[in-house]
Amino acid sequence: MSVNERTNQAAVTVQDVRKTYQVGEPVHALDKVSLNLKRGSYTAVMGPSGSGKSTLMNLIGCLANPTEGRVIVNGKDVTQLSSRERTRLRGIEIGFVFQTFNLMPRLTAQENIVQPMVAQKVSRSERNERAKQLLERVGIGDRADHRPNELSGGQRQRVSIARALANAPALILADEPTGNLDSETGANIMELLSELYEGGHTILMVTHDRDIAEHADKIIHLLDGVIEREEIVDSPVRPTVGGGK
Amino acid sequence: MDLFENLRMAWRTIRGHRLRSTLTTLGVVIGIGSVIALVTLGASLQGAIIADVAAGPSNGGAAGPPKMTVGSQLQSADGGSGEGGGGLAVFTEYDIQQLQGTEGVETVVPQGSVSLSSVTYSGQPVAKSAMTATTPAYFSQTGAGNFSAGGPFSPGEQEVVLNEAAATMFKQNVSVGDSITVTRSGGERINATVLGILEGSSSSSEFGSSDDSLPPEIYGPTDPFYQTQLVSPATGENQRVYSQLTVVAVDHDQIDPVSKRVTDYFTADSDAQRLLPSSHGVSVQVVDESVRQMQSLVSTFTSVVTGIAVISLIVGAIGIANIMLVSVTERTREIGIMKAVGFQNRDILQLFLVEAVILGLAGSVFGIIVGVLAGYSTTAFLALPFIFPIEWAGIAVAVGMFVGVVAGLYPAWNGARIDPIEALRYE
Repeated sequence: MSVNERTNQAAVTVQDVRKTYQVGEPVHALDKVSLNLKRGSYTAVMGPSGSGKSTLMNLIGCLANPTEGRVIVNGKDVTQLSSRERTRLRGIEIGFVFQTFNLMPRLTAQENIVQPMVAQKVSRSERNERAKQLLERVGIGDRADHRPNELSGGQRQRVSIARALANAPALILADEPTGNLDSETGANIMELLSELYEGGHTILMVTHDRDIAEHADKIIHLLDGVIEREEIVDSPVRPTVGGGK
Repeated sequence: MDLFENLRMAWRTIRGHRLRSTLTTLGVVIGIGSVIALVTLGASLQGAIIADVAAGPSNGGAAGPPKMTVGSQLQSADGGSGEGGGGLAVFTEYDIQQLQGTEGVETVVPQGSVSLSSVTYSGQPVAKSAMTATTPAYFSQTGAGNFSAGGPFSPGEQEVVLNEAAATMFKQNVSVGDSITVTRSGGERINATVLGILEGSSSSSEFGSSDDSLPPEIYGPTDPFYQTQLVSPATGENQRVYSQLTVVAVDHDQIDPVSKRVTDYFTADSDAQRLLPSSHGVSVQVVDESVRQMQSLVSTFTSVVTGIAVISLIVGAIGIANIMLVSVTERTREIGIMKAVGFQNRDILQLFLVEAVILGLAGSVFGIIVGVLAGYSTTAFLALPFIFPIEWAGIAVAVGMFVGVVAGLYPAWNGARIDPIEALRYE
C-alpha cells in the first residue's frame, strides 16, 4: 500500500483504551480514550504534563500494551500481536522522532539512519543507497560521516527524521520534535514535517506549543487521561521548504 | 540483525572503550596464557625425558632400548617377577615365534639359566652355579653392554661370552680366543671358546663403572648349552622353554601398545599360559618404568598447576561478566533506541553476546601468544626442547569463546528484556 494513497481508511484507531499504572492505588494514565487518525492526516496532541500524551504515544507506537481496549495500527490489532510481531510492526510501519533526538552516539549520521533497515535485514548496498537519499532529502547530504556530537541540534533532528523514514513507514510519531531546538531551527524542522505530510505520511505529533500544534489539521486536547476536546484547525500553518513561515 | 553488522557494532563498542576492553581482556589473557605456558612447559619436560631415553645409554641417556621383560610370577606375589631367570621355564619357542610376529616388536630375546657346578680355565676350576643361555641378539638389542674385546657367539657353536668380572675370576685373566671348560651340575663337561668379553657395567651407566661390583656372568648360545625342554601344547613338539624373555619394541612410543599386545597374547592362548600352574601368571614389566613414572609425575604436576591457572581464567570470566553488566547499564538508552527502531530482543541479546565472545576470543588469542612466548623463554632458559602441543591452541580458543558466552549470557539477557519506554527515559 503506497503512503501516497490518501483514503478515508484509518491509519490508527484507538478504542476505549485505558492504561493503568499501579502506584500504590491504580492511576489511569489514559481512561477510555478513543480516537481515529485518517491515513495521511496531520494531528497534534496537546495537554499539560501528566495528561497522558506520552502514554498515548507509546501505545500507538507499539512500545506498550493498553490495560484495556484496542489499538489498531494499519489494520492490525496491536494488542493481539506477540511481542515479536509488535516489534516488527513498529520497525516497518512507525517512525519515531524524539524531542532528544535519541541518536546512537558512536554511530555516524548515515549509520544511525541505516539502523531500522539493519533491524529489518535490508541488504547492505540497498540500505546505504537509501540512507544517502534520505540524508539528501532532509538537507544534510554533506554530513553523512559526522557523529551526533559533531552536528548541531537541528542537524541531529534531521538525522532523526531521516531515520524515522528509513523503512518508509506510513505513520510518523513526533514527540515534541522542536522541544530542544531554538525557534528558527524548530521552524525548519516543522517545514520538513509539513513536507512529509505533503508526501502522504500520517503524522501524529505531541507538543505543548500552540504555534507548533497549529501546523496540524486537528488538535486533540488531553487532560488527566481523557480527551477534553478535539479541535479542527481552520488554516493550518503550512510552511514551504526554504520559505519560512 | 546479520552477524556481520553485529560484529561491526560490537567491535565499535569495544574500540570505544579501549582501556576498559584491554583490562577486561587481560584477565582472560593471564588465565589462558598461564595455562598455555604451563602446558607447553610440561610437554617440553616430557619431550626432554623421552629424548633422553631414546638417546640410549651410550649417549648418556637414562635407559636403554625400549624393552620389556616377560617372566612368570606367583600371582599373589608382589615384586620378584622372575628376574634373573628365577621364574618357571614356560616360554616355548612357539611363544617366541608368535611374539616375534606381533606388531611393533623389534625382536624377542629368550634367556634361560643353565645350572653349573664349576668353570675351569687353564686347569683351575672355580665354582659357579649358573650361566645364561641366550641368543646373539641379547648383546646387540637389549643394551646388555658393549664388548671390550671380541664379539658375540654364534648359535649352535660351543662358544661363550664372559663379562669383565668372569674374565678376571681366575688367577690368570681370560682373553678372547682362550678355551674354558664348563661343568654342568650333572657333571657333563663342555669345552667352549671365549669369543668376547663384555665391558664391566651392564644396562645402566648410572651405576658407574665399578666392574668389581658386578657378579661374574657367563653367556652361551641356547644350543648347545640350554637343554630344558617341554612339549609345546600348541605344536605338540618338544621345544626349549625359557624362564624369561626380553621383548624389544621398535621405538619408545610403541612401548605401551606393545606391552599391552604381549600381555594380551599371554592372557589368551599361549603355551606359557597353559604350562604355568594356576597359581602363577605371566608378568610383563616395561624396563623403563622409572621414565614413565617421571613422565606421570610431570603430567600430574602440570595438571595441578594448570588447575590453579584455570582459577585465574574464572576470574577473567567474572571480569568480562562484570564489564558487560556495566556496559548494558550504560547503554540502556541505546537499547531503548534500538528497540524503538525495530530491533528484536534477540538482536539485543546477540549484540551483547557477540561483544562478550569477542572479548573472550581476543583474550584467548593474546593468551596463546603470551603463553607460547613464556613457555618458549622458560624452555630456552632451562635448555629443554620447545614443544607446543598445538591442540591446546584450539582448546584455548574454544575456552575463550565459552568464557565469553557464559560471562555474556546474563548481562545480554538483562539487556534484551529492558523495557523500551523506561530505557528511552533513562539518563
